[in-house]
Amino acid sequence: MTNAPTVGSPAPDLDLTTIDGGRFRLADQVGRAVIVSFLRHAG
Amino acid sequence: MKVHERRERIEGLDATAVFVGFDEPERLRRLMLRDVDLIFPFAVDRDRRAYRAWGLRRVPWRVVWLDPRVWWQYGRLLLGGERLRSTGEDTLQMGGDFVVAPDGTVAYARPQNRDDRPPVGELIATVADLR
Repeated sequence: MTNAPTVGSPAPDLDLTTIDGGRFRLADQVGRAVIVSFLRHAG
Repeated sequence: MKVHERRERIEGLDATAVFVGFDEPERLRRLMLRDVDLIFPFAVDRDRRAYRAWGLRRVPWRVVWLDPRVWWQYGRLLLGGERLRSTGEDTLQMGGDFVVAPDGTVAYARPQNRDDRPPVGELIATVADLR
């Protein structure tokens, strides 16, 4: 089982450094849809 | 990274995308982003705090390593000339795909249970339905 957010619930926070040294905050994207893809390992 | 190939469609819907990985940035660049022209942000979550917040779990090793599809995929890569290399830091950490609506609510949620991902078209269709 997973406790992933369900459809209709508020999205959890996402505030991370990007690989090029920037910052991504989901909260900054309010007003437009965002596809969020969490990846598995790089290998 | 097929989402990148659909950039125009995604941006045409006034949407964006973000990718999140947990490996070291150098490893991500070398193994995952080697031939990728990054268009959308790629965030790094070294301590996997966001993975946990979004409910993305680690599975038991048997789910990954006793899955015949994993071995089929390895075999196919080897036959295609790929060389074996060490895997990432945690092969048991699952990912997942979500669409967040403009109001900040979740419009689509598909946490992984194994190495399965939804078609990009399914994500884009969800975005289109939000308009």
